[in-house]
Amino acid sequence: MRELVAQYLSRSISRRGFLKGLTTAGVSLAAAESILESLVPVAHAQEARRGADAIKVFEGTGGACFAEQLIASGVKYVFGNSASEDAQFYEALVDRPQLKYILTPHEGPGAAMAAGYVKASGEPAIVMQAAVVGLMNAMGQMFNAFKEQTPLVFYSYRTDQTGRAGRDGFEEVANQEQIVAPMTKYSWLARRPDMIPETVRRAFKAAWTPPYGPTYCSWHSDFNDDKVKTEIIVQDKIDPRMRVRPNPSEVERAARLLVDARMPLLNVGDEVYNRKAIGKAVKLAELLGMPVTQARQVFVSFPQTHPLWVGGPPGNRLASLSFPKGPDVVINVGNKLMHNSPAPIVGRNVRFIDMRIDSASMGNVITTEVPLVADVAYGLDDLIAALEGIMTPAIRQKAQERAQEVRRFTEQAKTLRSLVTKNPDWDRRPMLSDRVTWEIAQFADTDAIVVHEGGSIGLHSFGFDPLGGRELFNYYGAHLGSGVGTAAGVKLARPNRQVICLVGDGSFVFGPTALWNMARLELPVITVVYNNHAYSGPHSRVVEKVAGGRMIQTGQFVHDYLGNPDMNMAWIAKGFGVDAEVAESPDQLKAALARARKTTVEGKPYLIDVQVARNGVAWADRPWTPPIRIARERTKKV
Amino acid sequence: MFVSMRLFAIVLGTSLCAALPCSALAQQSSPPRPAETSDAMVFANLCFQCHGPGMWSDHRQDRRGWEGVLYRMVGRGALWTEDDIKRMANHLTATFGAQPGKPSK
Repeated sequence: MRELVAQYLSRSISRRGFLKGLTTAGVSLAAAESILESLVPVAHAQEARRGADAIKVFEGTGGACFAEQLIASGVKYVFGNSASEDAQFYEALVDRPQLKYILTPHEGPGAAMAAGYVKASGEPAIVMQAAVVGLMNAMGQMFNAFKEQTPLVFYSYRTDQTGRAGRDGFEEVANQEQIVAPMTKYSWLARRPDMIPETVRRAFKAAWTPPYGPTYCSWHSDFNDDKVKTEIIVQDKIDPRMRVRPNPSEVERAARLLVDARMPLLNVGDEVYNRKAIGKAVKLAELLGMPVTQARQVFVSFPQTHPLWVGGPPGNRLASLSFPKGPDVVINVGNKLMHNSPAPIVGRNVRFIDMRIDSASMGNVITTEVPLVADVAYGLDDLIAALEGIMTPAIRQKAQERAQEVRRFTEQAKTLRSLVTKNPDWDRRPMLSDRVTWEIAQFADTDAIVVHEGGSIGLHSFGFDPLGGRELFNYYGAHLGSGVGTAAGVKLARPNRQVICLVGDGSFVFGPTALWNMARLELPVITVVYNNHAYSGPHSRVVEKVAGGRMIQTGQFVHDYLGNPDMNMAWIAKGFGVDAEVAESPDQLKAALARARKTTVEGKPYLIDVQVARNGVAWADRPWTPPIRIARERTKKV
Repeated sequence: MFVSMRLFAIVLGTSLCAALPCSALAQQSSPPRPAETSDAMVFANLCFQCHGPGMWSDHRQDRRGWEGVLYRMVGRGALWTEDDIKRMANHLTATFGAQPGKPSK
C-alpha cells in the first residue's frame, strides 16, 4: 500500500489506478475511497509546491539564462565543440555542476554521441556548435536524427552580432536558421536575449512531442553577453504530454480484419521500442498466432528468439519474405517504412492496417485500409482489448493452428540461418565478414548492446531480444560516421551494459574522433572495424547498375578503393588514446576479443581492426588505384 | 507499378534465356530436362527476390566461388536449404563458370 500511495502522489498512477490497486490488494472499495480522500490535501500541497518551483524569474547573462533553462528542461549532458561566443554559457557552467559539458573534437561524431545518448537513455540532451561553421559539421547527424525521428535539440549562435548583422561578416550567412529547416521539426531564432529560455523550451517541446525529431535554435551571439531578466520554466509545464488513443471505430475495423484474415502478418518498428511496447506487440502476435517481421529500422522491436519471428525481409519488401507467402492482412505497428526502391514495402494486394503516431507519413506510399493514429502502446492495448472481445473459441483455435504453422517455419529457419557457417571459405584469412560477425556473436554478453554501422555487413547470429537480451542500435539515416559516436553515447547512457560497435572501415574513417571521448570519459566500448580496405557496398551497387561496362572490363573503379596505402585503424585508435590491435585470422580475432573484454572490464575502451576479405564481382587482389602521383610531376623537389 | 512489373518480367525473361543452356532452350517444345530446368528455376525464384542480373552476370568463377557467394547471402537473411544452394551453384557454375585458361574474377 505504501508503494501505491507513493505512486499516486508522484502522479505515476491515476485516481482510478490507485483505487484499482487497493481493491486488488483486498481493500474494500469504500475503504479505498476513504484512503484516497485522505490523500487529497497532501496531493494538493505537493501540486502547489510543484507550481511554485516550476516558474522562476532569473536575472543574469543570456548564457546563464540558457544554462538555467537547460536545467529546467531536464538536460544533464551538453555535447559541444569549442565556441568562443558561448563564453558566458561556459562561465555559467562553473557553478552549475549538474549540467555536464562534454567536449567533442568534431561536431559530427559529437552529435552522433548525443543522439546515441538520447536514444539509449530516453533523456533530453543538446548539441552545441560554433556558429554556422560548426553547424555544417553537425548537419550530417542532424539528417540522421531527422530520418530516425530522434528528439535531439541543436543550438548554434549566429556569429554576426545585432549591431553588425547583414554585412556578410565573418562566419555570417543569411538566414542561418533556415538552412536546417527541411530536416528539423522547429528551427527558430530568438529575437531578444530575454527570449532565449522560451526559444529553448519550445525546441525541447517540439523535439519531444510525437512524432519525435530534431529541432534547432539560434540567436545573435551578443545575446549571450547581455544581462536580462526573464522566466525560467520547467519543461513539464509546457509539455502537451501527447499520448493519443486510436479512433475506437477504426480499432474495431482493424480487429475484425485481423480475426477474419487467413494469414495476417505483423510488421513492427521503432515506435514500439521507443514506447516500451515490445511486450504488447508480443501479446498481439501470440493472441492471433501471427508471424512477425520488421522492415529496416534503428532498433529491434520484437524478440528474434520468439517462435513467431520469421526474420526481416531480405529485400526490404514484405514480398521477399520466405514466409508467409501471400499474407492477406498486414498490420504495421510503429515502423516508418522507409523505401529504397520503387516497389512499395507492403504490396497492393493486401489489406493494410497502419498503427503509428506519425500520421503525416501514413498513406503516402502504401494504401491504407485502416489507419490507427495512436501512441502505439495505447493502440496495442486497445486493439488487444477489442480482439479479446470478439475472439470466439473457433477463432482462437484457428489462431493456435496458425501459430503451429509459423513455429514449424521458424524452427526450420533457425536451422537454415545456421548454414552461414558452411561457407567453403569459412576459415580463410583475411576473414569473411560473416565469420567476424559470427565470432562476435559467440563472444558478446547475453545482454550486449550492438551499435551497427557497417553497410555491407550481414547482421546475423545475434538473436536480438529487446526484452532483456541483446539490443541493436542500427544505422538508418546513412549519413556515415555515426557508429563510434553513437556507441560512446549509448555507453554513457547505459554504463552497465556491454556495448560493441561494429563499423566498416569506410564508415569508421568518417568519424573516429569519438574514440578520444571514449578514452577521456572512460567509456569502455569495444569497437570492431571490418577493414577490407574498400567501399564494398558502393562497389557492388555500381557493378549491378553498369553490368558489362568499361569499369568491369578494365577493372578501373575510381570510387571504391581505400588501400594503397592501406589504413591502419589500430594506429588511428592509439592516436586517440584507445588501445587497439589488428586481427587477421579467426584465432587472432578470438584472442583479440578476449583482450578487449579484459580491457573493458578494467574500464577502458578497445578497438580491433579486423582484416576482412573483399568479396563479390570484379574485385582484384590489389584493386586498381588512379595513377595520380603529384610528387612525380614536380619540377621543383620541395 | 505496371511498368515496373513489365520491366521485371522482361529482365527475368532475358536473364533466364541467357542463363539456360542452349540445349535446354532448343528443347522447349519437347519434354523439359527436369534437373536443368529445376536448377535454373530455383535460381530465378530465389536470387531475383532481391537482385537484378547485373549483380552476377559479369562474374566468372568455379563452383566453390559460387557456393561462397550463396552462403554469404544466408548471412544477409536468405533462408535457403543446402539443396537450394547446391542447385543454384549448379546453375551458376554451368552458366557463369570459370573460363578455361582464365582465372576466376
